Amino acid sequence: MAAAAVAAMATAADDEARLLRLEEQAGHGGGGAWEYLCLARKLRARRPDPVLRLGLALLNNSSARSRLASEQWTLYEQVAVAAMDCHRLDVAKDCIGVLSKQFPGSARIGRLEALLFEAKGEWADAERAYALILENNPFDQIVHKRKIAIAKAQGDMSLAVEYLNKYLELFMADHDAWRELAEIYVSLQMYKQAAFCYEELILAQPTIPLYHLAYAEVLYTMGGLENLQTARKYYASTIKLTGGKNTRALFGVCLCSAAISQLTKGRNKEEESSELQSLAAEALLNDYKQRAPSKEVLITNMLKNMKLS
Amino acid sequence: MAEELVLDTAIRDWVLVPLSVVMVLIGVLRYFVAKLMRSPAASPSPDPKLVKEGQVVVRARHLRTGAQFIPAKAFKSRKVYYTNEENGLLHVPKEEAQKAQAAMFSDPNMAMDMMKKNLSMIVPQTLTFAWVNFFFSGFVAAKIPFPLTLRFRGMLQNGIDLGTVDVSYVSSRSWYFLNLFGLRGLFSLILGEENG
Repeated sequence: MAAAAVAAMATAADDEARLLRLEEQAGHGGGGAWEYLCLARKLRARRPDPVLRLGLALLNNSSARSRLASEQWTLYEQVAVAAMDCHRLDVAKDCIGVLSKQFPGSARIGRLEALLFEAKGEWADAERAYALILENNPFDQIVHKRKIAIAKAQGDMSLAVEYLNKYLELFMADHDAWRELAEIYVSLQMYKQAAFCYEELILAQPTIPLYHLAYAEVLYTMGGLENLQTARKYYASTIKLTGGKNTRALFGVCLCSAAISQLTKGRNKEEESSELQSLAAEALLNDYKQRAPSKEVLITNMLKNMKLS
Repeated sequence: MAEELVLDTAIRDWVLVPLSVVMVLIGVLRYFVAKLMRSPAASPSPDPKLVKEGQVVVRARHLRTGAQFIPAKAFKSRKVYYTNEENGLLHVPKEEAQKAQAAMFSDPNMAMDMMKKNLSMIVPQTLTFAWVNFFFSGFVAAKIPFPLTLRFRGMLQNGIDLGTVDVSYVSSRSWYFLNLFGLRGLFSLILGEENG
């Protein structure tokens, strides 16, 4: 299973490289526009400008459009969403108009129309449209997420949290939703809940260093001896997962060790911590020496202060 | 006992290859018929309980596989959340478990689906087997490249009425069985994932 995951990651990186190459090629008029659009759709890459430009060029060219036959409708959808991203609402309206003529009463088109309301800022209309779609199909994950996005865009974070919690009660395996919830909690300074969400994320995907780092940061912010010790462990695991390249985690280990030693002043100090701290300090120094030698002085001063405290 | 039989190449041309081709075609035909017979709407409104249960199971599986990556307190609290006697998400009292099993068989839709699936497997297999037995029996069809014990004689040499022929020489019935199990891989290649 690990091998398959690694292979998948490798092909994902290949795909992204190919996407960028095609974008350049198509942008300079060198053909490959349709391939680029298909790849962008498959990878769900958000690149509204090139998609809009190339997509519109394809759609306005009626011979190219008729060659696509049944695929042109997905292209209309893709261009509509890209237009909304670029705030070209007239283009989006035209595309949606064409689509709704072709597929009247479709839930997918209904979603696009509600998205257009959102883009225009007409939140009440958008909410009504989404409520209608949800009546027919209460398990439409995308519509649930759009409702949460509306609440977030209006700045009503507590409502967004409420919606997200309800969504997660139904679809608790959706790790993107957990991530969104964690970020909202952090912005609301509800660190305990954010820690819970990050734990879910680490459970679901334990090899992504980003989650370990974020979890460590939340624990460090919460403070307290136990949290600091756990935070140091997670900073250390981030360093392990990134092969020592994550400067922030190196800082984190040093700061945690300093804070812990300050808290445990007077009690018996554990021997293991000093090795970790000195290793992290060394790695930090090397990192700065290589990448920002001008700032090395700051680091040496800081480390000296921490070792003393 | 170890005499070498020379098999006519006409056997290969007129028995082995047509049998394989016929089985591939029947498999493809069965796939299309199954597609047609399948109930039109996949699931107009999925049961909320089923959806939630599926997701809970996935989440619990993550808890099991990633248990070593979260602090002990967090793991324990989640374990209690799932297995709590009163309102744990995964806790199923004894009577309910048996009820669920009975419900699966009495649910008309599901019973029909199961029957249709089984039927679409059994009928072509039976027909092909009967066809093979009727037309292609009574002669040696192939030689298996490795030696077999005498126990396999009854299974593999049904139409051949000579008791002393080496067990490696088999009838076309065994070729049919070989194809039956071997073409599954081919079908999953040409028909997409779950159609073997």
